[in-house]
Amino acid sequence: MRPRLFVRGVGLAATFTVLSLTGLWAAGELKPIRREIGTTNAAQVQPIFRREDVRPTLKNPSANAREFFFTRAVYNSGYRWSSWATDYPKADRQFLVILDRLVDLDSYERENAVRLDDPKVRRFPFLYALEVGDMYMTEAEVKGLRDYLLAGGFLMIDDFWGTWEWANFESEIRRVLPEYPIVDIPLDHPIFNTVYNIEEIVQVPSIGNAQGGRTWERDGYEPQVKGIFDDSGQLMVIINWNTDIGDAWEWAESPYYPLHYSTYAIEITVNIIVYAMSH
Amino acid sequence: MFEFFFKYRPILFEEGVFAFRPTVATYVATILVLVAGVITFRTYQLVRANSRPVDRAVLTGIRFLVLALLVFCLFRPVLVVSRVMPQQNFLGVLIDDTRSMQIADRDGETRAAFVTRQFGGANSQILESLADRFAVRLFSFSSDTNRIESVDTLTYDGTQTHLGQALTRAHEELAGVPLSGLVVVSDGADNADGLPPDSLMPLQAAGVPVFTVGLGREAYTRDIQLTRVDTPRSVLRGAALVVDVIVAQTGYEGQRVSLQVEDEGRIVADEPLILPEDGEPTTVRVRFSATDAGPRLFSFRISPQPGEMVTQNNVRNALIVVEDTREKVLYFEGEPRWEVKFLRRAIDEDDNLELAVLQRTAENKFMRMGVEDAEDLAGGFPRTREELFKYRALILGGIEANHFTPDQLRMISDFVSERGGGLLMLGSRRSFAEGGYAGTPVADVLPVMLDEVTADGEAAFFIETDVRPTRPGASHPATQIAENEEASVTRWPELPPITLVNEIRDVKPGATTLLTSGDQSLVVLAFQRYGAGKALAFPVQDTWMWQMHADIDVEDQTHETLWRRLLRWMVDGVPDQVVVATPQDRVELDESFELTAEVDDANYEEINTSQVSAWITDPDDQLLEIPMDWTADRDGEYSARFTPRKGGLYEVRVEASNDGELLGSDTTYLRVAPSESEFYDSTRRTPLLERVAEETGGRFYTADTVDSLADDIQTVGGGVTVVEELDLWDLPGLLVLFVLLVLGEWGYRRVRGLA
Repeated sequence: MRPRLFVRGVGLAATFTVLSLTGLWAAGELKPIRREIGTTNAAQVQPIFRREDVRPTLKNPSANAREFFFTRAVYNSGYRWSSWATDYPKADRQFLVILDRLVDLDSYERENAVRLDDPKVRRFPFLYALEVGDMYMTEAEVKGLRDYLLAGGFLMIDDFWGTWEWANFESEIRRVLPEYPIVDIPLDHPIFNTVYNIEEIVQVPSIGNAQGGRTWERDGYEPQVKGIFDDSGQLMVIINWNTDIGDAWEWAESPYYPLHYSTYAIEITVNIIVYAMSH
Repeated sequence: MFEFFFKYRPILFEEGVFAFRPTVATYVATILVLVAGVITFRTYQLVRANSRPVDRAVLTGIRFLVLALLVFCLFRPVLVVSRVMPQQNFLGVLIDDTRSMQIADRDGETRAAFVTRQFGGANSQILESLADRFAVRLFSFSSDTNRIESVDTLTYDGTQTHLGQALTRAHEELAGVPLSGLVVVSDGADNADGLPPDSLMPLQAAGVPVFTVGLGREAYTRDIQLTRVDTPRSVLRGAALVVDVIVAQTGYEGQRVSLQVEDEGRIVADEPLILPEDGEPTTVRVRFSATDAGPRLFSFRISPQPGEMVTQNNVRNALIVVEDTREKVLYFEGEPRWEVKFLRRAIDEDDNLELAVLQRTAENKFMRMGVEDAEDLAGGFPRTREELFKYRALILGGIEANHFTPDQLRMISDFVSERGGGLLMLGSRRSFAEGGYAGTPVADVLPVMLDEVTADGEAAFFIETDVRPTRPGASHPATQIAENEEASVTRWPELPPITLVNEIRDVKPGATTLLTSGDQSLVVLAFQRYGAGKALAFPVQDTWMWQMHADIDVEDQTHETLWRRLLRWMVDGVPDQVVVATPQDRVELDESFELTAEVDDANYEEINTSQVSAWITDPDDQLLEIPMDWTADRDGEYSARFTPRKGGLYEVRVEASNDGELLGSDTTYLRVAPSESEFYDSTRRTPLLERVAEETGGRFYTADTVDSLADDIQTVGGGVTVVEELDLWDLPGLLVLFVLLVLGEWGYRRVRGLA
């Protein structure tokens, strides 16, 4: 490679990066507070949401004795800082409202985000994680998640697309559960009939792609539901790949977001939650 | 000594009648004595000398006593006794032929050896003296009574002492002859039939005294005994058994020994213990698991200790049928809850528990798990007794009382009281008082007090607490979460806190609290027996925290152990439609026993018209069918008698059908083997032997006092007797008294200077 071309390449990349970050910040998704996640790499510092701002504390009396908390896994991410918080907290809140109407479940009506390396995560046997294409867990998070899953916790994965993001997620989950394979979950699995009968796996597009045209992102053309089962055949992790279920909750009220996507997203999530709570 | 002074043995004085036999000369002599008395009295009145009035009174008194003694003798006192005529009467001698006679507790000599020595043959002292006076008939007795010619034929291998039956048999056999009495030579140990109260009446009516000779010691100096072991007749495979063993000892106080439990020869428990004070029984709680299915012989033993007098009583055997069945449990949950997931997982690998879950996901929408087929529970909670009663236990989760119809609430109550099932109510905002159960039939079943919840705007009850076992909970099989009691008691408070939303502070009278909150103010687990079944209150809403909490290691099995043991305890002993029972797990060869069966229909209502058969498989696999008939004493109870003719294990399977439709079947097992019970409590039972003697007019003897037996029977016994009068005037004792009085008078005079 010639030096001039190399310098140009680096310059272009740096410009693109700065523009992207500025855009994201300007969009108001991030607050400019830097906080360390994880304990293994002190130098690894990234900005995240102030948790005290967005996460309900369980000292709140209304959270006492609630059966179900829609809990987001807070994990360390790579270039997309705080990718765990995508669609947060609107998606969570909208989904919880609908969940409360559809299922006779004593669920806490607010969002709940817990770090994977926080022992309190074991208080919440259901976890939702998304954008795992950019997940880079610390060792403490890997251990926390592994113990969580082996103790009986359940993890729902959503909103990651294409080969590259799959490869990243696969390598991350291999760190957590190296001994358990990822397998396809066939449509005749009980999880698709727990409350609603799901007859096909729908590719749920993000709000940006929901207006028509393509529903896929990157090279994630075909939606898939995969899983990781423990030694007893119990489902520990359900992986919704090449689909964005979270966006369908978040924009369920939008007249521009097709209702059938939201319907599917809500139905399959209700099934997953009820299944996770009973199997 | 007595005979030296009184010439005759005490028994003659006890049995004889005192009388005087005066003659004319007696009256003349008496008059002379009285005259002498008057003279004496006058003389003492007249003679003053230097005597005081007291001296005169004493001397007069002594002189009168001397004269009174003379008059007594002159009237010729006699003892009228009725004595058995020699060689005119029969005497039955009953000798104990049981195993306890083999115990050597008399200076190293066995009880049997004493019998041989004293009742054995020509040189036997007692038998010889009896034979001189009576026609002796020997009998041996144990579980049966037989006429024998000589004690040499005794084998001392009988396993039960039927004393009452032996007395009756011997009396009947000697009914046609003049009978002086019966002699029982026994230690009185293991009187199997408890000496029925009326068994002595024929003897009393016929005036046949029973002379009992008690052998053996009343207490051992060095012995360890397993007095009692209480085991269930059947358990579920893999069940954790907690068995109380009562141990008594003498001579080994404070010694460390170990109590071992063997399952068909394999040691399954080894519980150390320190032996208690002499004669003070102690209860040892031993834990083990029944891992192999089928009829299993469990042995509980303490190794014989040096110098122990009886070692056979260090072991107890129990036949336990280890069932390898799947017991059905229904869990009804009113909402998706984590308890469902973790409870299902906890018992997932327990092959003997089958959990059907009915979970409400929305109004009138149910999710079913672990059901038999597409129709099972399709309509929600069972609406018929038959549908509900097929389960052995019912768990009610967060389901409000209003969900049920009044009939269903009554049915749940009947499930416990009539079907004998187990009911467990879990904590939630929709259970107990919070679920509106106060005042319902279910509230009657529950072991806790439900206060009416008033909607006065008070904040809902919520508390996070750790848990600790109560004293009963420390050792209860349902709350054993570690390998032994100590570890279990330590483990409970270490568990992460759980949350309670039902404020339950009081249990009903008769209920038992097993777990409480850390400050002991709230009930965490309680149970009570209700009718034929049992009901539990477990007002915790998140026992799954004992699985998921970060303080719990992922490999930890505490949560699984708790739920398996809790559910196993709930289904334990829950009856089927047909239940067969035998009085014991062991009978003697050729001993007839009664087989009973309780038969219910699918609604668990007794049926008296069903066809019931017992299929008995003997140790040689020979199958025999015995019809069972309704007893007419109790509804649904059928019985038949059976006498095993072979030693070994018998399988008894009872089948009941009604109008050609099979109602059900049940199988039990029975051991036909000699009893070891003769070696337990095998010290001499003096009170029993004394009572027999006393109530029949006989006498009780020990090996040391038995020498006078023949003479005593001759005096006390019945049969052909002759009346004898025994003179008493010449008793050496009277002469001695006479001399003492005269010497006394002389001595008094000497001392007072009156001589």
